Amino acid sequence: MKNRLRQIGILAAVVWMGLAFAGPRDNSLVVGASQEPRVLGDFWAFVTSQAIASEIENYLWAGLEFIDQDGNDQPYLATEVPTVENGRVKVTELGEGKKRIEIHYTLRDDIYWSDGHPITSKDVAFFYEVGKFPGAPVQDPSYWSRLGLKVLDDKNFVVSFEPAYFYDLVGSAIGLAPEHVMRAEWEKTKAEIKKLDPKKDAAKITELFQGFVSKFATPKALNSGSLVYSGPFVLKRWTPNSALEMARNDKFFITPPGGADKYVQRVVYRFIQDTNALLVAILGGSIDATSSVSLTFDQARAPQLTRRAKGRFDIWMVPGVIWEHAEVNKFKNVQTVSDLMLYKKETRQALAYAMNREGLVKAFFDGLQPVAHTWVHFQDPNYNPNVKKYPYDPEKAKKILAELGWKDSDGDGYLDRTVDGRKVTFEIEYVTTAGNRIRERTQVFFQNDLKKVGIKVKINNAPSSVVFSNDFFSKAYDGRWKGLFEFAWLFGIVDDASVFTCKDYITGDVYVPTPENNYSGVNFGWCNDEFDKLRAQAMVEFDAAKRKKLWQRMQEIWAEELPAIPYYWRSSPYVMKKGLVNYIASTFHGSFGYPSTQAWLIGWEQNGAKKIYDQADYATPVIAR
Amino acid sequence: MIAYIIRRLLQMIPLLFFVSLVVYTLVALQPGDPLEGLIFQNPHLTQEDIEALKRAYGLDQPIYVRYFKWLGRALQGDFGISRTYAIPAVEFIFEQRLPMTLLLSGTAFLLAVLVSIPIGIFSAVRQYSIADYVITFLAFVGYSTPVFWLGIMLLLLFAVWLPELLGLDQPIFPPGGFVTPGVDPDTVGLWNYLKDRLWHLALPAFTLSVVSMAGWTRFMRASMLEVLSQDYVRTARAKGLSERVVIYKHALRNALIPIVTLMGLAVPGLFSGAVLTETIFSWPGMGRALYDALVEKDYNVAMAALVFLALLTALFNLIADIMYAVVDPRIRYS
Repeated sequence: MKNRLRQIGILAAVVWMGLAFAGPRDNSLVVGASQEPRVLGDFWAFVTSQAIASEIENYLWAGLEFIDQDGNDQPYLATEVPTVENGRVKVTELGEGKKRIEIHYTLRDDIYWSDGHPITSKDVAFFYEVGKFPGAPVQDPSYWSRLGLKVLDDKNFVVSFEPAYFYDLVGSAIGLAPEHVMRAEWEKTKAEIKKLDPKKDAAKITELFQGFVSKFATPKALNSGSLVYSGPFVLKRWTPNSALEMARNDKFFITPPGGADKYVQRVVYRFIQDTNALLVAILGGSIDATSSVSLTFDQARAPQLTRRAKGRFDIWMVPGVIWEHAEVNKFKNVQTVSDLMLYKKETRQALAYAMNREGLVKAFFDGLQPVAHTWVHFQDPNYNPNVKKYPYDPEKAKKILAELGWKDSDGDGYLDRTVDGRKVTFEIEYVTTAGNRIRERTQVFFQNDLKKVGIKVKINNAPSSVVFSNDFFSKAYDGRWKGLFEFAWLFGIVDDASVFTCKDYITGDVYVPTPENNYSGVNFGWCNDEFDKLRAQAMVEFDAAKRKKLWQRMQEIWAEELPAIPYYWRSSPYVMKKGLVNYIASTFHGSFGYPSTQAWLIGWEQNGAKKIYDQADYATPVIAR
Repeated sequence: MIAYIIRRLLQMIPLLFFVSLVVYTLVALQPGDPLEGLIFQNPHLTQEDIEALKRAYGLDQPIYVRYFKWLGRALQGDFGISRTYAIPAVEFIFEQRLPMTLLLSGTAFLLAVLVSIPIGIFSAVRQYSIADYVITFLAFVGYSTPVFWLGIMLLLLFAVWLPELLGLDQPIFPPGGFVTPGVDPDTVGLWNYLKDRLWHLALPAFTLSVVSMAGWTRFMRASMLEVLSQDYVRTARAKGLSERVVIYKHALRNALIPIVTLMGLAVPGLFSGAVLTETIFSWPGMGRALYDALVEKDYNVAMAALVFLALLTALFNLIADIMYAVVDPRIRYS
């Protein structure tokens, strides 16, 4: 009977199927992703900027530099990474703590677009021209306003920043766009834009810029060959809402060891929005590897997956620079904040001691997502391991709270005190994104911990579009949220500490959202002058060792003052079929951990690809239980 | 009748205006705006930058100004560009999503009709038999089963468990999607391409049809039973007509009247898609398009889709009313 069923099954499969699924058999790679890019090749991010788009663009386009698996800058289209030591970076003092830098790049001689056209300074100048044009809806106005460009010849140009910050030297200082392909359309768009008033017709101008990009970057446009490529792969076909196929670019200038034919020839991205359905596809064997935007942490540890892993695939947890934490409302003018003394560092320290973060991380994540001590990741070169820490200590928490004047005078198990003749119970509001299972469980876990020291927690969740709306998130000063707010920041390889800066001594901006500055910024009421001054110095300190000293002192201050309660660093799960090599997800690969960085090396061991990097050096394997 | 139809069509105009106003206001009043994602990514955006971005996205105007601007363009057929896809909203809906939705919903609808009517008749004719009890039981189960659970279970069954059990290295039905990557008429020929598309359509269409199938089976059964108990059916039998003629010529026609109305009212639902089924099977339809547009505040797509659906609902309500009059000679409109 089983045989008969098997025969019928095989017959059904053969009769119904199209092409065989890809993988090592035809030297291709099928990547599963739970998000699909809207556009690809939006070099200026006029339309959108998505992680999945950046990940896929790594296959298709090369930059001047790339960040390798260890977080170091490497030359890509440029002959070498410009540094002060090799004379390619010049730093000039401008006074008032400001500096100017000039970065001299030289492009390689052996680089071509996929249509054979050489890549030259003209492509850099074109990128600069479009982004600098008045009215361009750029997402990072500060970068563009400080940027300058001087072209020396076809292969040499100088990028300048004024005022300059240390992170201007991290990664490529400027981008490129294929001038010979996009120029004609840009001239038409420019002519249209010039007819309009940048102030009155801003929305129309935005539409024109987006329209310009959509002539090249939408699936329809790309499928008709609108763009050319400089990366290790070219786009063959993009079926929206289904899949995207890329084939090896024979004009790419890097040859992997042993010859390009020994490495993957075709990369297919399958977009499966529902992560449960994506998991089913992985279990069924039709996915070779997952993207940086795919399974959730819990799904990667599900017994369904781990049980089937042996001999088939590896499951890795890669430390991410995603900082899960609880912000604290420290605005003294908010009644609750004043009553609970959340503006005092001692109160926040007591909360940290009372919350068993080590226990949480062990119980929920088997320790795979480590406890955070400040906002700086432990793999960041500026990390300070010697800051004040807050290991779980409910007795210490109780002591601090007692010293602040709290006691349980009515025997209800919760602390209280008298403020201006009123009895105030220590009841703290705890907000997070509704529907996020892990966060909701975290709330209950900490609610329990805080109850043990006499603190009552009032959970107040709402969907992320509500809690992150300007009206709620930015209005802590008005008391829209009054206690703890749990969410995560995605930091990337460059962190400028602007999240905890009160006054930017370089620009004069204030990052504390109040009615005076129309609620802009995300520093919810912590102002430390020493921290701000150190930060202003560090921002223009181009000597890495000196900058590290400044950054370490900033972390000391932060850990002592504890403006937010650091929870843990989130890890990103990846599933990879056995035999796949050089598909490396590490904390800083490509800046945000993209395994598509250095895609020319991705291959199957069984097809002769040489293993250059070992994923085990950058991640923790999930062991099947 | 013609006068009635014209009157109904004219009534649709103010209705659509009202619906568009209400929908636009509700969408705009949702917490958040498209800029928040940008502001969140860039904690050091200054107040000036934010004002400039607001102007760039047309969000510096009050809601009623934005509505009238939208209305003015919509009346000229310009529903704007999708902010997230960078193509005209109308192109996105009518070229990319609507055909996929019609394919899935239409197939599910057809499947439900082809199964529920004969099974309902069978169940009614053999009332109280074992077959009737089994069908009734299955109908209740089908009706109560949540579509998202059923979808995932079917995916697991045909893409993971059965292939594992049978030692296959390919799934019996694919785990979602609407086509195998790399398969198109140019590479594998039209016939193989159609087979692949059908293979992908099978599970989602079946999943989507189950609830309707179950409901309509019960409805058909009840309607048939009511008609079979009528005097004229007894007369037809007494005249010596064969059971086949009695059921299919005399009873069925009348039993179909309420079913036809019910199915007519279900037609607008074919266009709105089924967001849960589409999400699980990664089927790029209208349901997901609308949901994504609302969540990401892509106003142009959301408005175009909602206005279109309001128009269709109104139109098909009218068609259902007309069909009711056509199949039931007792109904006449003045």
